[in-house]
Amino acid sequence: MRKTTSFLIFLLIFWWGSAACAKVYLDINSPAFQKFPVAIPEFKNMGKAEVEDNLPAWFADQLSQSLKITGFFNIIGKDAFLEDQGSAGITAGEIDFSNWSGIGSDLLVKGGFSYDGEKLAVEFRLFDTIEGKLITGKKYWGKPEEKKSMVLKFADEILMALTGGTGVFDTKIAFIGKKDNSSEIYTINFDGSDLVKITDYNSLTLLPHWSPDASEISFTSYKDGNPDCYITNLASGKIKKISSFRGLNLPTSWSSDGKRILIVLSKDGNENIYIKHLDSDKLERLTDDRAIDVSPAWSPDGRKIAFVSNRSGSPQIFVMDSEGKNIRRLTFEGSYNSSPCWSPDGTRIAYEGSSNGCFQIFSIGEDGDNCMQLTFEAGGGESPSWSPDGRYLAYSSMRGGQRRIYVINSNGLNRRVLPGIKGLDSFKSPSWSRHLNLY
Amino acid sequence: MKRNLIIVGMMVLICSFSLIFVGGCAKEQAIRGDVELAQAQPSAEETAQAQAQAQAQAEAQAQAEKEAALREKALKEQALKDKALEEKMLAEAESFKEIYFSFDKYDLSPEARDILKNLADWLLEHSDFEITIEGHCDDRGTIAYNLALGERRAEAAKGYLTNLGVANARITTISYGEELPVDPGQNEAAWAKNRRDHFIVFPKKQ
Repeated sequence: MRKTTSFLIFLLIFWWGSAACAKVYLDINSPAFQKFPVAIPEFKNMGKAEVEDNLPAWFADQLSQSLKITGFFNIIGKDAFLEDQGSAGITAGEIDFSNWSGIGSDLLVKGGFSYDGEKLAVEFRLFDTIEGKLITGKKYWGKPEEKKSMVLKFADEILMALTGGTGVFDTKIAFIGKKDNSSEIYTINFDGSDLVKITDYNSLTLLPHWSPDASEISFTSYKDGNPDCYITNLASGKIKKISSFRGLNLPTSWSSDGKRILIVLSKDGNENIYIKHLDSDKLERLTDDRAIDVSPAWSPDGRKIAFVSNRSGSPQIFVMDSEGKNIRRLTFEGSYNSSPCWSPDGTRIAYEGSSNGCFQIFSIGEDGDNCMQLTFEAGGGESPSWSPDGRYLAYSSMRGGQRRIYVINSNGLNRRVLPGIKGLDSFKSPSWSRHLNLY
Repeated sequence: MKRNLIIVGMMVLICSFSLIFVGGCAKEQAIRGDVELAQAQPSAEETAQAQAQAQAQAEAQAQAEKEAALREKALKEQALKDKALEEKMLAEAESFKEIYFSFDKYDLSPEARDILKNLADWLLEHSDFEITIEGHCDDRGTIAYNLALGERRAEAAKGYLTNLGVANARITTISYGEELPVDPGQNEAAWAKNRRDHFIVFPKKQ
């Protein structure tokens, strides 16, 4: 899974004067957040050797696309540029910043590359056009085929400099793609690239969940007739049946050490929550109620478990400690709240709730306060999953008539749809991986 | 008994064929030497006896074949009758193929109870049949919760049938949650059709 990149990274210039210690990041999760306006002109070929003709534009377009996907940038269109892209220099001394601040672009990325027939060297610089200052700059050397990795690395640098955290370009989202009576698991990169089909059982396969190291995915499949629980190893493609009791075997959240999973079993008549120890096969029963208890999710520190129960009449979200004790009800608004998912910092729980007869995505403080509705669209929203940095949520929605996977910023803004797959009817159950060091 | 007759008949046939075969051989040998011919050639009496025997065997076989054909015909007729009966039973079972539920509910409506009573009567009358109850939901709400809800719906029907005396062992349940809608529409009419128990009756596996 881990791609070993061989290219060298050198810090070209990294100085932001005294401002570095007084850095104040904008709250990108605030609903009032204004996107950063950024201009990215074509990169300059600084070498003598010719590379592919479209490379100057390719770098600018690839970086624009990557930054746009983050939802934090407003990319200034090339038509507005006052500067001649072909001739202008790429260092602070060579740039007339008024050409950029004048068109409303607070930020400017300049870049150049050279190719010696073997190695591709690429320089990136991010400028503050108001102050006329360099914010960060990097130079990368590598093989030509590593150019996308270089762009994503610098996109991470930009995010780090402006927001205090890197992006999630190296994460994947697992989901279910369905056609008629059969559904399979697929994975796709955050930016919509690299779609991979994981299962191929021509059966109903449901509820994918990444292991914490992202080497495995747990799921339920009817491939042998009963909804049994399996784990697939992504590198070897091998699958292991880990639970096949009579009735439901629904795996959900993994423990952070990857040794235990929360599983819902109905073997004794009622759907109850258990911890399954993967090493010893031992089962630990956490709930023992006549009601339906499903969808357990461990808090990131492993101390608490959020779950859905209809013990008070309708499905609501409850929280208990990891031994199954001290059960408290978390949601009181609305007649149907389910699919809890903890934010990576453990402070909030995203879920789906019924609102005016339609399901929408909400998030609520772990203490039950400060509930926010994040989606409002007609097609609703179901089964939210946080990105590992907590800045995004993936969910499914019937928006547009077909159930698809969408990604929104955790403040509810900047919705984008993930690519569908030709020939399939619907896409659902997103599960977001942790960082995979893909580039 | 009849099978034995057929085997005997076959053996006799094989014997008579070997006799003819031996005769043929002997003929070829006769060209080479009279002594051998004299030794190998059966007497006229023996030939007549063999012929009579062969004829008797042929008649016996014809008789056996005729009986086998009749038996096969009878079996086919019985199978057709069985199939017709099974189809008739399954056609009757169509009338209690499905019961319906309210949103997020698994309690049985009065209509559902009536259908289940008929189903129980039918199952008690036809003890050679078993039943699978599939629990289904509409596609609103959570996949996992709907799998549980579908299971509750199937178990509710199973509980009702067993209370009416249908043996537990004849009933299996499975939940498909919201995964197999009969109508993919996004409106109350479609959702109402999808919130169901689906009954499949089938002859008991031997």
